[in-house]
Amino acid sequence: MYNEVFEKKKPRKSYEDIVTWANSLPYSTLMKKKIEAENLFKKIGITFSVYNNFDSAERLIPFDMFPRIISKLEWIEIQEGVIQRSLAINAFLRDIYSKCEIIKAKKIPAELIYTNPAYEIKMVGVKVPYNIYSPIVGTDIIRTDSKSFRVLEDNCRTPSGVSYMIENREIMMRMFPELFEKINIEPVENYSSYLLDILKSLAPKKCEKDPKIVILTPGPLNSAYYEHSYLADTMGVELVQGSDLIVEDNITFMRTTQGKQRVDIIYRRIDDDFIDPLSFDETSVIGVPGLFHSYRSGYVNICSAPGAGIADDKAIYTYMPEIIRFYLGEEPKLPSIKTWRCSKPADKNYVLNNLKKLVVKEVHGSGGYGMLIGNSATQSKINIFKKKIENNPDNYIAQPILSLSSVPIFKKNLLTSRHVDLRPFTLIGNRKRKLVPGGLTRVALKEGSLVVNSSQGGGVKDTWVLRN
Amino acid sequence: MLSRTAENLYWSARYIERADSIARLLEVAYRIHLIPNTSEGYLNEWESILSASGIKDEYLNNYNTISKNKIEYFLLFDPNNNSSVKSCIENARNNLKMVRTAVTLEVWNTINTWYHEIESHDKKKYDSRNLPQILDWIKKHVNLIKGTINNTQLMNDGFDFIYLGIFYERADFTARIIDVKYYILLPSSSYIGTQVDNFQWSMMLRSVSAYRGFKWAYGNTQIDYTKIIDFLILSDLCPRSIFYAVNKIRHHLNRLTTFYKSDNSAHRKMITIHKGLSNSTSEQIIEFGLHEFLTKLIDDMSTTYSDLEEIYFLGIDK
Repeated sequence: MYNEVFEKKKPRKSYEDIVTWANSLPYSTLMKKKIEAENLFKKIGITFSVYNNFDSAERLIPFDMFPRIISKLEWIEIQEGVIQRSLAINAFLRDIYSKCEIIKAKKIPAELIYTNPAYEIKMVGVKVPYNIYSPIVGTDIIRTDSKSFRVLEDNCRTPSGVSYMIENREIMMRMFPELFEKINIEPVENYSSYLLDILKSLAPKKCEKDPKIVILTPGPLNSAYYEHSYLADTMGVELVQGSDLIVEDNITFMRTTQGKQRVDIIYRRIDDDFIDPLSFDETSVIGVPGLFHSYRSGYVNICSAPGAGIADDKAIYTYMPEIIRFYLGEEPKLPSIKTWRCSKPADKNYVLNNLKKLVVKEVHGSGGYGMLIGNSATQSKINIFKKKIENNPDNYIAQPILSLSSVPIFKKNLLTSRHVDLRPFTLIGNRKRKLVPGGLTRVALKEGSLVVNSSQGGGVKDTWVLRN
Repeated sequence: MLSRTAENLYWSARYIERADSIARLLEVAYRIHLIPNTSEGYLNEWESILSASGIKDEYLNNYNTISKNKIEYFLLFDPNNNSSVKSCIENARNNLKMVRTAVTLEVWNTINTWYHEIESHDKKKYDSRNLPQILDWIKKHVNLIKGTINNTQLMNDGFDFIYLGIFYERADFTARIIDVKYYILLPSSSYIGTQVDNFQWSMMLRSVSAYRGFKWAYGNTQIDYTKIIDFLILSDLCPRSIFYAVNKIRHHLNRLTTFYKSDNSAHRKMITIHKGLSNSTSEQIIEFGLHEFLTKLIDDMSTTYSDLEEIYFLGIDK
């Protein structure tokens, strides 16, 4: 396991100041600050809800005050890697919804695309403004050794967590201003204005004036509602629900106190299926009837495009190095993780014989659900997965159990190691790419646990990219 | 502004005002409770506050006896009571949460804190002895929220919808409490003008927190109910009077029609109501019949609200 902070018990260079600070912090101050931080989160209303849970009450995401630090050089490596990946993802999406060159070139099997539930056949031939299908990409990155960062997962539908990145920083600055005076930390507060700028560059063809942007949310019960409202607020755009929008003569409007007002760009935070009951799931009550038609006719842009989700499918993930080479003619800057596709008989056999050494994931699962971690699972759970894989091999992939790098958390007055990952947010617009230096660090709070998802007991940390 | 945003702001404000009204009602009931029951007429004060807040039936569905402790709990915390202070706070917060971006962070913080605090109050077993502190706490928060709205909100259309909510609720509440007191607490007309009668009227002043205001406005004269009617219905000095609320509603509708450059029936009807009240005297009201007058006023007000709802919240031209 790679310890990001200590090497042979001594702090690494980028962590020197912070370790000194942490060790000098009296226990009483630490406890006081912890309560202060929790109260701030609660007061501002930074909460999330958990799905599949009978207790629908709002929860606070656990926040740990020991920051995660990334040096300037490390950041450059990450930045180049995630931009490359986001560009490749957009080129891939454009291709599979038009000419399908990558399939013709036999770089990726046709059935993997065409039989994929995330492939949206209605998008074939649709002209997407500036061919940007997924303007906001969240890339989950892990570190297993001193050398490189690796990509664990791409998120190109509606990645969430960016508001935590910003609020974690706000709270750290409020609680420990002295650290920010001493250490040169890249700010992250520009994210909202970057996002606004990127979205503005993606106005649809038939938009005549300065584009009117809105964020479409499923509503206050959604687990990421706080983030939707945060982004709307800081971008200065309306936060709408499906019932606020209407489509007339293919033009999309929102209902206002002064009558109908035209909408040009929708940053949607609802899933494909629910966008438009006339085109997708007919039982959707949170969507807008006719919206997809308005989109197809070039009156409104929907970001990300319906059907963009196929690019973050776990089965597609295994082809990502090929995808990058095919569209960009470059080698991937951030390596992926060795992955066995159970759809291939040889891989399947290997997986079935080595379950104890592997992490098995459902191809279309997310949020850390539907996952088997071989070395910590009970024999009966392993047997269940064995059956599942045998019955439906296409639905599973497997990866080695990687020991994620660790950063300490404050546990009482001691620093103890916990595993972390990192999610930076890349923005791709019309001839524009933007990325704030930072990201969301998620931390598994249980000792030894590798699951960092907030829905399963993960917490967050402020992430500092150093300026020098 | 989105129609839904306007509607959520309006209702959030109404619930904040309602929580305040209920706290004030409870305060009066509490006060009466401390005075020995020597006279007739106000024995059933607890029952009357249920009527005044329009929830007597709901109460009787949940409890079989009228008791002080139960009523207090019912009005403050009971989740079965849609108008309990706690429900009001929850509703105010939920409405605002839907439109988080339409209010400043400071306004949201004050309401959100209020909500978290009542949660912790409710976790403890209700103890009637804490009533005065709880009531103070509620009133303090309402004032804090309103002050924060005044100090931090952008003075745009959203501000008008918030204030329309506050003053529609207030006009309705004041009209209802006068009506209920007049009816319930004076079971026979022979009480009018008696000691009991005057005592009731002064309690009514207290229930809208206008007791001292009245004394200052009319000099330290004997409380007499024509003056009280004047003060609570027609005065432009008393912030709890119906006229004051009507005046404010007219003002905010006027701002909206100017802002949107489009007049509408809600605004025009409100001007008529305002004019009617300006030209009335308390003697005329008594002659017309206080109950009849209030019923008509409440009806007229709700017509203007339906218009307002159709125009701004549902997008129907009027």
